[in-house]
Amino acid sequence: MSSNQTVSTPPAPSDIPPAPSDTRPAQSLRPPAQSARARWTTRIIGITALVATGFTVWLGLWVTPPDVTQGNLVRLVYIHPGVAWVALYLAFGLAAVSSLLYLWPRTRSLFWDRLAAASVEVGVVFNVCTLISGSIWGKPTWGVWWAWDARLTSTAVLLVLFLGYLALRRVPAEPEVRAKRSAFVALFAAVDIPIVHFSVLWWKTLHQGATVLNANLSPTIHGSMAWTLLLGFVALTLVFVWMLLVRYRIGVLEDWLGTGELDVALRERQAEGAAIDEDEAA
Amino acid sequence: MGYVQAGYTIVLSILFLYGAALVWRRRRLTRAVERVVAAEASAPVGPSGDDR
Repeated sequence: MSSNQTVSTPPAPSDIPPAPSDTRPAQSLRPPAQSARARWTTRIIGITALVATGFTVWLGLWVTPPDVTQGNLVRLVYIHPGVAWVALYLAFGLAAVSSLLYLWPRTRSLFWDRLAAASVEVGVVFNVCTLISGSIWGKPTWGVWWAWDARLTSTAVLLVLFLGYLALRRVPAEPEVRAKRSAFVALFAAVDIPIVHFSVLWWKTLHQGATVLNANLSPTIHGSMAWTLLLGFVALTLVFVWMLLVRYRIGVLEDWLGTGELDVALRERQAEGAAIDEDEAA
Repeated sequence: MGYVQAGYTIVLSILFLYGAALVWRRRRLTRAVERVVAAEASAPVGPSGDDR
């Protein structure tokens, strides 16, 4: 319909968009229901994550011994690598895989796009936590809050890249167009993940090498410290899974609400057009 | 211990606030969906395909 059309000239019947019920299956108008099982799973994961995080904090701050070299500062090891693991490998890795599956014609589905978007948003929060906790650890250890070190810089670049991804998703577009360009950007940004991981090997950095995921896969940490570190990884992974499930649900509701509001607007416009037709006929 | 406590407090606060924001967003959207469904149910039905 042309934009300069006035109320006095009723739209031709062909210009009126069809009623939603004419064009879409009836079930698509139903609200996106969540099964009781899914709700309970999310709730149980959330509670488990909370308890596991509480245990990690208790063990990390009060039970584990101080380090011979670093003293009490070593206690930051129970959260800093954990949040980095979630951000870099889980969240952004999952976003890259989901984006690839969206771009692959056989597996193309908006499910992968929503999963990637949810994963990136949660990953950005964990990435911020990684940079902040690393900076707080760096000040007493290196004497500076920030250094243009390869590991730190590549992690900051990763954050900027995925912030760009989130900004791109806010540009208005058809869902398929948005999904496609977001997937390309996610894959482009994901190139930085191996750079972050291998930066401590490729360049001479202030940041220490890998403690657990080293070349020999031989963790250089033992006893209660190792168990607490492991628990921290599990706890933060559970926190990520819970956040991902909730954020994915938000994506589903947002998408449905978008089309739901459009349907309501179309129906109102149709009713308005019908009223004008009746006035003209009278 | 000051740096350690600051690190734990800041990281856990960020995660807690983000988690709370997620729950709030989900609740707000669920209510919005319920409102749209209610509006759909009470809206006057437009002309059918035969009438047009």
